[in-house]
Amino acid sequence: MRLFWNIAGIEARKRMSYRADFWLNSLVAFGTELGVAYFIVAAMFSGADRLGGYSRNGMLLYYVAIILVARVVRSTDLEWAIADDIYQGALSRYLLYPVSYGVLKYAAQIGALLPAFVQVALFSAWVPFVLGIPEGIRLTPATAAMCLGAVMVANALHFLMTYPIQLVAFWADNCWNLLIAHRLVAMLLGGILLPLSLFPSWSQPLLNALPFRYMFAFPVDALLGRLSVAEYASGMAIALGWCGVAAMLSAAVWRRGTLQYTGVGM
Amino acid sequence: MIEVDKLSKTFTVHQKEPGLKASLKSLFVRKKITKHAVKEVSFRVEEGEIVGLVGANGAGKTTLVKMLAGIIHPSSGDARVLGDRPWKRSRSFTRQIALLMGQKAQLWWDLPAADSFLLLREIYQIPKEKFRASLDYLVSVLDAKEQLTIQVRRLSLGERMKMELIAALLHSPRVVYLDEPTLGLDLTAQRAIRDFILRYREAHRPAMILTSHYMEDIERLCKRILIIREGELVFDGPLDKVVQTYADHKVVTAHLHKQAEPVRETEELRAMGQVDACNDVLIRLRVPRPRVAEVAGELLKRYPVADLAIEEVDVGTIIERIIRARKEADTAALRP
Repeated sequence: MRLFWNIAGIEARKRMSYRADFWLNSLVAFGTELGVAYFIVAAMFSGADRLGGYSRNGMLLYYVAIILVARVVRSTDLEWAIADDIYQGALSRYLLYPVSYGVLKYAAQIGALLPAFVQVALFSAWVPFVLGIPEGIRLTPATAAMCLGAVMVANALHFLMTYPIQLVAFWADNCWNLLIAHRLVAMLLGGILLPLSLFPSWSQPLLNALPFRYMFAFPVDALLGRLSVAEYASGMAIALGWCGVAAMLSAAVWRRGTLQYTGVGM
Repeated sequence: MIEVDKLSKTFTVHQKEPGLKASLKSLFVRKKITKHAVKEVSFRVEEGEIVGLVGANGAGKTTLVKMLAGIIHPSSGDARVLGDRPWKRSRSFTRQIALLMGQKAQLWWDLPAADSFLLLREIYQIPKEKFRASLDYLVSVLDAKEQLTIQVRRLSLGERMKMELIAALLHSPRVVYLDEPTLGLDLTAQRAIRDFILRYREAHRPAMILTSHYMEDIERLCKRILIIREGELVFDGPLDKVVQTYADHKVVTAHLHKQAEPVRETEELRAMGQVDACNDVLIRLRVPRPRVAEVAGELLKRYPVADLAIEEVDVGTIIERIIRARKEADTAALRP
């Protein structure tokens, strides 16, 4: 366990050792996402007062929250790191160590959370002053705690979902397009592009059963007080179930993939 | 310690002709070729032995080392390192081996080496006292204290290689693979690394396999060599036996008093041996071993010799000849 936290610590230090990169990533990326969200919300509410149960400010708050949650869940650019290790041959170094590669990478992802949390703290502090607490939204210490729990599960789920996709690099060398496809699907079905409450009612059971909601929209719903305790508990159970499925799939793909590995690039 | 039995590795790779048309075609149809990187290689390495693995680029050296380190799986054959099959990557196996790749950084690039070493202590679960003693020993022998706290990417190649060696040896491995450990280093750094490897071997007695394109590495460090050509092991034996077996001649060099006329390559000179050089200042001949004393006497008698040197043929040249001889034999065998 000490190794896990040491790896996480190293990743956190690495992430924060380049100050200019940290601030550019924080300001430019966040500013762009926020600007896009503002114009989408403005367009959506040009002829309506309420949409999917949100007021205009409520919707803005949802977008701010989901942008920040996504930043934590994705842990910046680590979602490419495994495929890159295989492609570049850097995996070889990890195969020499008497520890699991997946555990090392997950520890690194946890380490990358620290700078992501700093960004969240910096950019969420002003939100209540600008938007207030819109109608239908309930922000309390309890909802914040529920959100934190859901974010940690979402982070693990996101890691486990992208892990077997990245392992395709064992066969295809280059699997960026697959990862981009996954990212787009996750953005759509996870509620980053649009709140899931705007999707047709027939699709709701499907959205609830798929894993994408639990990566992004679910922690935001928990934060904004839009989930009952029962809904929260069942959502967490589904998310953990998907974690189990993805972990089993990852282990199987890893076993097959390492048979193919050539260490090219070393 | 290392037992290799008919180990083979075959890769399937895509081939693509150059040009746009070929690129378009490759989107639909690809030509695959099978490359036999390692072919039925067998050998053993014992504790305390440093074995040199030599061969041309693409001969299969690194593939062989990768299999023995457990990074890649073999296509056929078997190998045991410390009693384990390397590619199973058991914890007991990975805790006792190290691989140093001269052309690839294995440390965390953005951190000072000291941070990487602390991490490696956790990875290999090295007890604190043992870690401190190992680190102090390696740092003092390599004279690397100053560089410990500098970000790895800011170190020179030689300094980085010292840090890589420390990282590879911190856990006191019983089997060490060194793949081009002196690649790109200046002469001083090469010598420092070689001296260190010898001292480490004396102190810890690991089994070591060394690949290098620098013959001086091989000559200084290895008593035994394996020569690999196109994946096949073509020689396995003591380094001095290579010279005795394959160098049937010596190089005789006569340095001459300066003359007005350069020495001509006459029939008389050719009768003494193969003429490598002859001009107004020296004569260099390749002379069959039994005739060396006789030819030296003839040179002294017939030419104004200022100095005379009798040397063994350079090991690198001999190895090149072994590789070439096998290639020519194979080509001849294929001829109808």
